[in-house]
Amino acid sequence: MPHIPQGYIWEVATLPAIHIHDLRKTYVVSEREAGARAALKSLLHRRTQEVPAVDGISFDLAAGEIVGFLGPNGAGKTTTLKMLSGLLHPTAGELAVLGRVPWKREKAFLRQITLVMGQRNQLVWDIPPADSFELNRAIYRIPAADYRHTLEELTGLLELGPLLRKPVRNLSLGERMKCEIAAALLHRPQVVFLDEPTIGLDVTMQRRIRSFIADYNRRYGATVLLTSHYMADVEALCRRVIVIHHGRLLFDGELSGLVRRFTAHKTIVVQLEDCEADLRDYGEVISCTDGRAILRVPKAETARVTERLLADLPVMDLTVEDPPIEEVIEQVFAQEVT
Amino acid sequence: MKGLVDIYVQQFKTTLASQLQYRAALFIWLIGHILEPLVFLVVWSAVSRSNGGSVGGFSTGEFAAYFIVLMIVNHLTFTWIMFEYEYRVRQGTLSFALLLPIHPIHSDIADNVSYKLITVPAMLLVAALLGVAFHPTFRIVPWAVAAFIPALIMAFLVRFLVEWTLAQTAFWTTRVNAANQVYFVLALFLSGQIAPLSLLPAPIQVAAVILPFRWMIGFPVELLLGRLTPVQALTGLAAQAAWLAISLILLRIVWRAGVRVYSAVGA
Amino acid sequence: MRYLRLLFEFLRIGVMSELAYRANFFVQLFVSLLELGTALGGLTIVFAHTDTLGGWQPDEVLALVGIYFLVGGVIRLLIQPSMERLIESVREGTLDFTLTKPEDAQLLISIQRVEIWSLTDILLGFGVLAVALTRLGASVRAWQAAAFAVALLAGVVIVYSFWLILATLSFWFVRVENILVIFQSMYEAGRWPVSLYPAWLRFALTFLVPIAFATTVPAQALAGRLTWQLLLGAVALAIALLVVSRLFWRAGIQRYSGASA
Repeated sequence: MPHIPQGYIWEVATLPAIHIHDLRKTYVVSEREAGARAALKSLLHRRTQEVPAVDGISFDLAAGEIVGFLGPNGAGKTTTLKMLSGLLHPTAGELAVLGRVPWKREKAFLRQITLVMGQRNQLVWDIPPADSFELNRAIYRIPAADYRHTLEELTGLLELGPLLRKPVRNLSLGERMKCEIAAALLHRPQVVFLDEPTIGLDVTMQRRIRSFIADYNRRYGATVLLTSHYMADVEALCRRVIVIHHGRLLFDGELSGLVRRFTAHKTIVVQLEDCEADLRDYGEVISCTDGRAILRVPKAETARVTERLLADLPVMDLTVEDPPIEEVIEQVFAQEVT
Repeated sequence: MKGLVDIYVQQFKTTLASQLQYRAALFIWLIGHILEPLVFLVVWSAVSRSNGGSVGGFSTGEFAAYFIVLMIVNHLTFTWIMFEYEYRVRQGTLSFALLLPIHPIHSDIADNVSYKLITVPAMLLVAALLGVAFHPTFRIVPWAVAAFIPALIMAFLVRFLVEWTLAQTAFWTTRVNAANQVYFVLALFLSGQIAPLSLLPAPIQVAAVILPFRWMIGFPVELLLGRLTPVQALTGLAAQAAWLAISLILLRIVWRAGVRVYSAVGA
Repeated sequence: MRYLRLLFEFLRIGVMSELAYRANFFVQLFVSLLELGTALGGLTIVFAHTDTLGGWQPDEVLALVGIYFLVGGVIRLLIQPSMERLIESVREGTLDFTLTKPEDAQLLISIQRVEIWSLTDILLGFGVLAVALTRLGASVRAWQAAAFAVALLAGVVIVYSFWLILATLSFWFVRVENILVIFQSMYEAGRWPVSLYPAWLRFALTFLVPIAFATTVPAQALAGRLTWQLLLGAVALAIALLVVSRLFWRAGIQRYSGASA
């Protein structure tokens, strides 16, 4: 029996759906000062500057993962997504999606991915979504039976029924987004890139779309990479988050790990009879209403402060919580961490 | 009043700055403005040459002069506001203009004039080159040249106000291209761009006089070329003034009605 | 064939988009008639003052006008709206959607928009052409008709490639939709025989902005004045421009996606 090295089998079995290593993208931007004189000068000579949008990032996504890609505006999320979907050439680094090089834009590759961009439409404006769907069917060469089946499922999952026959321009933003997502999934792509899909939507619609994505991932095992600057998106959908800032990765791991690593504080919520006691001795008082006090204490002090509170005061209820994740993320972004 | 001047100055500065951003596009529009009169210059020169050197009171050289001057006058008076408006209403960006405490027409005028400040040198250069190529015959009549200035200014104002008012049709229909086309086709015929108005059949000449088209382009051209009698010049200036008044009234009415009707197409 | 299927899909969508604005048909018909009236009016006025124009008979110029509308109609039907949409989508970033589709992007953007009512121009063009041909006295032999068809096809291909090159410039420059205005205004020059123009303008209208190939050359074929060298030249130019426009397109996409040359 031929000797098959163990490492080889392991690698083949776990070929990542998305593989990035030391990926870089640098933009050349022309800049100019304000004022009419500068405007005239720029007619003759343009000054340019190199801006690193993505500055050496690496990560792997296994098939079927849903991963959240978090970062403030301008962090490099969209640039990374565009490189993964073949829209942008990287300046340097390794890049593979489903084993292929995205920027070669091979047809077989494009049939297996999809890109949804919040606030940008691929649906034709003046006609009902159903007709745009037909167009995608032709472009992706979806067999009739598969198309009908997928459309039925998507219509059910996204509650598209009454929307399909209305011209897109008559739909609300949320309804349009649902139809955009459906259009993007008609060909059952294996890899789904979502770029800020819930931006501009109301809370109910955001929740619906999130639950749809989770559902879709469960049913079809599609790999989902989701960018957002809404923490709620990521909390609801992703066990794993990747945090990017200034083009560099700050964190890659489980959401709980993010909190653990980046917070120096814990929140203690104490229920007392009233707010008369002075709690400043125990920690930073965030608020106190009807006896419900919220304190922020350094992580290391948590146990000691809790002991003292329980000993000193008539505590009716006490819980120790992590600070809200929004706060954590804010702190993460505020740090100039390498 | 000082406030308005300030606004115009600021608007000029910003428009100038943004115009210069799009360097390539600026000079491309000129090509259209050069080519159209050029085509008719060539056609009518050919006609004139094959008919003993003159047709309908114009010699070959005078045709050349007519169309070269027409080119300049047309460029100085033209607007693109009708296209711009259709775009604005469609995109819903008109809302921003409606929120400002000044009438949006001012920024549009400033936009228009600042564009021409940049392009006029090029146009004059082209006119000079065409002069070399086609040997135009000019007749310099001093009082006519003096009268040309106010005629030109009024022509610009009449044209701008009329086209700005027509641009408001974007309030009522989302596809205004068709309405624009009607206007441009009429203008082509009736303003003297296809041929000097005196060469057109009588009914068309009458229409050209009743409608504002002649006063937008044809009249100042003929004036500068010294082809009009003082009486005709004065009547023309009066007609321009009348159309100025009419278009201001129309503008007010249409603008008010339009704002009331305005509903954004596309959130 | 696949491409026909895709074209059909886009045509269908174009029709449906427009059906939402039914009034447009009548308005477009009215406008087309108005334009035709202008062209014919211009012709009438010119020929009221002369018998021939640069060696062309009135009915030959009429045929030219018919071809002008026919080709103009094809441009306005498919080429112009699609190229305008391309420029828009580069600016708005919606080109990204096209680029992630598993179909040749150039094909997709070339047929993506249809202004279906421009069919009126095509029909009117045919009409005027028919009238001109009957008046010319049916001197059109089979080979002339064939030469006309070839010249017409070559002309359309040349125009398409040219528009594509212009529209592709939007990958490098920002406000490029104005560039399309060049063609539209220069196309007007195609209403008159290009042989009228002074040499330098003739050159510009043939080789810089290939209008002559779209209108005058097919008209010459119909009038029996087309040398086979010129016809061959037109075909060669059509093929060459098609190749060049493809290369330009590829270069444009490279730039759009930030590939280093």
